[in-house]
Amino acid sequence: MNNLTQYSELIWNGTLETLYMVGVSLFFAVIIGLPLGILIVITRKDHIAPCQFIYRILDTIINIGRSIPFIILMVAIIPFTRKLVGSSIGTTAAIVPLAVAAIPFVGRVVESAMLEISPGVIEAARSMGATPLQIIMKVLLPEALPGLILGITLTAINLIGYSAMAGAIGGGGLGDIAIRYGYQRFRVTVMIATVVVLVLLVDIIQWIGNKIAAYYDHR
Amino acid sequence: MIEIRGLYKNYITAQGSLTALSNINLNIKEGEIYGIIGPSGAGKSTMIRTLNLLEVPDRGSIMINGEEITALNKKELRERRKKIGMIFQHFNLLSSRTVRGNISFPMEIAGVPDAEREEKVEKLMELVGLSDRADHYPSELSGGQKQRVGIARALSNDPEILLSDEATSSLDPESTDSILKLLKKIRDELNLTIVLITHEMDVIKKVCDRVAVMEEGQIVEEGKVIDIFVNPQQPVTRRFIKTVIDYNLPEGLNITQKGRLVRVSFKGESTHKPLISLLIKKYNIDANILYGKIDEIQGIPFGTLILDLEGSDESIDEALEFIGQLGLAVEVLTDEQSNSI
Ligand SMILES: Nc1ncnc2c1ncn2[C@@H]1O[C@H](COP(=O)(O)OP(=O)(O)OP(=O)(O)O)[C@@H](O)[C@H]1O
Ligand SMILES: [Mg+2]
Repeated sequence: MNNLTQYSELIWNGTLETLYMVGVSLFFAVIIGLPLGILIVITRKDHIAPCQFIYRILDTIINIGRSIPFIILMVAIIPFTRKLVGSSIGTTAAIVPLAVAAIPFVGRVVESAMLEISPGVIEAARSMGATPLQIIMKVLLPEALPGLILGITLTAINLIGYSAMAGAIGGGGLGDIAIRYGYQRFRVTVMIATVVVLVLLVDIIQWIGNKIAAYYDHR
Repeated sequence: MIEIRGLYKNYITAQGSLTALSNINLNIKEGEIYGIIGPSGAGKSTMIRTLNLLEVPDRGSIMINGEEITALNKKELRERRKKIGMIFQHFNLLSSRTVRGNISFPMEIAGVPDAEREEKVEKLMELVGLSDRADHYPSELSGGQKQRVGIARALSNDPEILLSDEATSSLDPESTDSILKLLKKIRDELNLTIVLITHEMDVIKKVCDRVAVMEEGQIVEEGKVIDIFVNPQQPVTRRFIKTVIDYNLPEGLNITQKGRLVRVSFKGESTHKPLISLLIKKYNIDANILYGKIDEIQGIPFGTLILDLEGSDESIDEALEFIGQLGLAVEVLTDEQSNSI
């Protein structure tokens, strides 16, 4: 009985840590990834602000960012993390590599959502004398909104997966618990409970994402 | 109103350079509905898109109300565009906005105050007959209704010119007719100048005052719609006219051509002259009517006769000259043509 309360508290705290890591890193990933995605869309040729130079650079950065395995990225940016949050271990410190890993992902997600908008709609706005900024704010963002929401949902779910590895730098969270208790100490019950919570979490996030996207989708 | 001089446009493609527009010259008058027709790839879209510089010409001048628009800077061009409405084949409405929101959109871009905008939206919805659909999204509308939203949206900043690129090409015949009527109505009520592109001669016949026929980047024929119908000069024009006015004789009919086969086309008053009896009396020739049809283009009667003229060569020549003097268009059909009529 005692064990049960102890473990449920453990899992509860782990859940909060996971949500904290994922939530905060997602927030920063979107803050930076969204403008990045917009920029890579509008600098394409035939778009509203064509610029091969910027497009190439951003495209390359995103590709490199996405091809580095998370565990390596986490270790590689330790000095940067320490500079930014004053420490390289702990839950807060884990947020930095998570956000960094998610930025290029969000960039691509934004790009693909915005490329789905029919060029004709953008052309119509141009024919009305809209400025590039007006096109971004009044056409690209609202028209891509359902796709953006689904993309951000996907990012959140990926971040939950990545956050399991954050245990390696003392980040805590559900994944960490599963590894420490389940794998290293053979507490199978704990591991199963953790996995169940993770599955639930992913399901709930996907469900909410779908609901919000559907609400804004009038296509 | 719109004066186009020496317009050229090339596209550089992987297969080399492609001439989309070649020495285009046009004058479009205020308040007229000007049609541009041509086969696919003729350069019609390229042409109309140069009028608001969605496509920048390589060479040439485009004057709108005496202002050279190719010389405008970016900011001036955006201001200019607010006075040029455009509608599209695929409507290009914002799926995230309702009818009301879509019509309001250009005014938001132009910075029109809220109250004024709302009032204008109501008026425009009434004009295009969509007041009962105000809060519907485009996905809940029929094609014809979507194009009405497109038109209302294009009119929201009180443009002087409306550009229409195949606006009825994805609509069924009934919606097409109602959209064409609407275009005519707004031209009459708002004294708008409308430039419309189409590949359907029926559209030209129903609403246009004048028409230019394009082929391979050039304007090959231009004039009043009725004149073009009565007296087409170019093979491409004839092909288009054939799509709405059927010259074909019923297959079962066996023509045995005896004399010279001619096509006489006439319009307006001349439809009332007793042509055949004059020919017979004055020139002593026989005129067999092989085919006859009277049509009308926007209220002007217009007809076609295919005659087989029998008599001496000189008297036929004289008769043809006489028909020409009456103001009728005559065309002697070659053997090839007479096989295909
Ligand atoms: N952006 C472009 N790049 C390269 N070639 C182009 C481009 N736009 C048009 N063209 C070419 O220019 C020519 C004229 O095209 P345009 O779209 O003006 O024809 P159109 O008369 O409107 O034809 P349609 O009836 O099929 O719409 C075509 O051969 C087309 O392939
Ligand atoms: Mg076209």
